Amino acid sequence: MSAASPFAIVALALGGAALLALLEQLIAERRLAPAALAASAARTLRQPLSTPEVKDAWLYHGAPGLLLLGAILALAMVPWAPGFRGLDVGAGAILYSGALAYVTPAVFMAGWGAGRPLQVVGGFRFIALMLAFQMPLVMAVTAVGAPAESLRPSAIVDAQHAVPLALSQPLALLLFAPAAMAVAFVAPFDLPQAEGELGGGAFASYTGLDAAIVALAQKVLLLGAAGMTTTLFLGGWHGPLLPPALWTAAKTLAVAALMLLAGRLLPRTRIDRLLPFAWKVAIPLALLAIVWSGLVTLLFYR
Amino acid sequence: MIGLPVVLAVGALLFAIGLYGVLSQTNAIMVIMGVELMLGAAMLNAVGFMRYAWPDAAGGAFFVLIAMTLMAVEATVGFALVISTFRHRRTAELDDLTELRG
Amino acid sequence: MSDLGTALVFWPGAAIMLLTGVYVFRTSSMARAGLLLLAALGVEGLVFLALAAEFLGVLQLLMMSGEMVIMVFFMVMFMPDPGGLMGMDMTHDKRRSAVAAAAVAVALAAVAVATDWPAAVVTGETPDLRQIGFEVMGRSMFSFLFAAVTILFAMVGAILLAKQGGRLGLPAPGSDRPADDGDDGERPA
Repeated sequence: MSAASPFAIVALALGGAALLALLEQLIAERRLAPAALAASAARTLRQPLSTPEVKDAWLYHGAPGLLLLGAILALAMVPWAPGFRGLDVGAGAILYSGALAYVTPAVFMAGWGAGRPLQVVGGFRFIALMLAFQMPLVMAVTAVGAPAESLRPSAIVDAQHAVPLALSQPLALLLFAPAAMAVAFVAPFDLPQAEGELGGGAFASYTGLDAAIVALAQKVLLLGAAGMTTTLFLGGWHGPLLPPALWTAAKTLAVAALMLLAGRLLPRTRIDRLLPFAWKVAIPLALLAIVWSGLVTLLFYR
Repeated sequence: MIGLPVVLAVGALLFAIGLYGVLSQTNAIMVIMGVELMLGAAMLNAVGFMRYAWPDAAGGAFFVLIAMTLMAVEATVGFALVISTFRHRRTAELDDLTELRG
Repeated sequence: MSDLGTALVFWPGAAIMLLTGVYVFRTSSMARAGLLLLAALGVEGLVFLALAAEFLGVLQLLMMSGEMVIMVFFMVMFMPDPGGLMGMDMTHDKRRSAVAAAAVAVALAAVAVATDWPAAVVTGETPDLRQIGFEVMGRSMFSFLFAAVTILFAMVGAILLAKQGGRLGLPAPGSDRPADDGDDGERPA
């Protein structure tokens, strides 16, 4: 059981974020121009921090750090290969949700610290959205934990050596993926902080290093969401010919591409429709998924 | 050297801070926050007992679980009461809520 | 966790918990108060992890973020000065409560230090997830059920308390039933 050093995880986060930025550019603009991406990143980093107009500087400038911390901790829960299992904690799948839960205070801090009305509203909208979505997220993880008889991510991957859990628990997958997308600020669930809505949302007035950290954190969150979906539902590193790490990378990239494509193709859901759906439909379905997972465990995994 | 007395002392200090909050704050929500700190101190004590005195007592872990649940339940009912009170009296300050009627 | 690792997390963690706990009640910005409480109880989760209670630490970290965010939500709704910009003093009986709190702290710490606890355990094999599961579903099943029913009652009761128009809801337009806001104190039959 080899835990990875923190440096490896941070390097993975940075490299994965860069790769996902390229993927997003490919999907959005249908071209691959790493130089243009690097130039825009450098341009963002050179801007000065927007200090004088900020209402609560501690919260405002602390929020990107908390966001990035939560994102990297969430990414650390994903096992990539039998030899590189990330932070293989016994309750790793729940700690993934726990790390993601710190995205909510971070967005709130960003909105409240900026002090401008639309940004405060954006922060509060994200709170409302995440309160609603956290339930299906954690319940879907519980539903996956039952057949695997463990919450350790590598054990969940090992339980899928024959059949990926997406086939036996499709409902849990359908609940987990949108919830993870909502946390990772991926359209179509990114209403509280999308450009063009609410004046840009909670992150609108970030400049310079803050904006760069927020962009990096968004990519790392997407990587973590795609990686965790692969781990919990698609069988992680299991596959016939290629080495395990390559299988995980391929599956993660495919899931991330699907998530980004969904963002491009689907219209953004309105928050007054998304919230009732989350409370009245998603939570009962998540309870149903838990019952279903219990049945599947008793019938097949024993 | 960390031992049981150290953990219990930290728990006692945290409990006292929560108690200070409960006794000195005028707003109902700050009082709820003080109670949360007190419950946190109790949980810290239970975890200290599990680690340093009785390691095979899974009942201690269950106690912590129930205490966490109680934190959430108490906050829920407290907030509902604050909403209801605010609707009738337009205030959540405990100093103004000293009479049963109007 | 090794002794050094535990000490590295516990001592700074305890200091952060106590300091942020005190500052919760001394700051005038309500958003900061809620986030400081989040810091205090979140660091408590890390302390649980250091004290070899893995599942409980993870659970504490997970739950506290959601709870404290809700608390900040409510504070901004119901407090007269959530931004803390006007410097209102929101306390009463500060000296007496400080004295009472200090007395309680001294008494509890004295009990903690003076009692003859069982000998310190070296290995510290605290219950893992499986043992907690068996405990919950076995010996403590009754308490678990009781807690579950309590949560259900709390949820239903909270929603009834917070409903607009009281228990029976707002009257339909056109009906002459007065809205049960509870102001007159009479309960409709």
